[in-house]
Amino acid sequence: MSSRTASCSCGQLRIQVEGEPRGVGICSCLACQQRTGSVFAALAGFSAPFKVFGTATEYVRVGDQGAKFIFRFCPVCGTTVFHTESGDSETVSVAVGAFADPAFPVPRVSVYDSRRHPWVQLPPGTRTFDKDPT
Amino acid sequence: VSTRTASCSCGRLKVEVQGEPFRVSVCHCLACQKRTGSVFGEQARFHSAGLKVTGASTEFVRVGDEGTKFTFCFCPNCGATVYFTAEGRDDVVAIPVGAFADPFFPSPTVSVYEHRKHAWLRMPAEFEHDP
Repeated sequence: MSSRTASCSCGQLRIQVEGEPRGVGICSCLACQQRTGSVFAALAGFSAPFKVFGTATEYVRVGDQGAKFIFRFCPVCGTTVFHTESGDSETVSVAVGAFADPAFPVPRVSVYDSRRHPWVQLPPGTRTFDKDPT
Repeated sequence: VSTRTASCSCGRLKVEVQGEPFRVSVCHCLACQKRTGSVFGEQARFHSAGLKVTGASTEFVRVGDEGTKFTFCFCPNCGATVYFTAEGRDDVVAIPVGAFADPFFPSPTVSVYEHRKHAWLRMPAEFEHDP
């Protein structure tokens, strides 16, 4: 099975995941814009097991629908590398950019599409949701 | 003169800038991908006159491909980078556009490091493109 490693800017915090992502999507919500500093987040969900190397600072944010997300960022460079949802130990969401791989699988879903910056074009066939479908 | 405020996720680190950005650009380099966790960074450059920073930040220094030393300032509580500067350019501040949380922020006009671009991304033809 293939494994991939995502890393922060300075390399201190890394996560190794196994197999192909369960899903890849972008999120244009304002919280994702502020966290990333980009105009959307690109996220890939992977099934456990995964391995974390290095030290992370946790930041907890409660989503619009009450889910508690625990983000882990590197205290040295600030990069948020991955997050989990409280109560779900089976899945991890990894920031796609942290793989530093322009050939990473294409996103198929766009959530909070109502907040998408109008110049951003989605790949043909992307499923869009005004907010979060779950 | 218009005023805009950029903020981290938790609101502890904020930057207020005056006037319009003189350059808004997208960067596909791997360092911008890692820093943002998105597939590109988007930055707005402002003249730093009138710049007001509120809150504590942690600095991370990265030397670019051309030797320029960039200092990134992020919130130690939530990790979001809210501004950065380049050594020798005290008159300019770069703000990650997402920190404005404004889908109607002026569109970028420049796209750089396109050889690192994720193939599915379509950059508008009217942008200035740099390989």
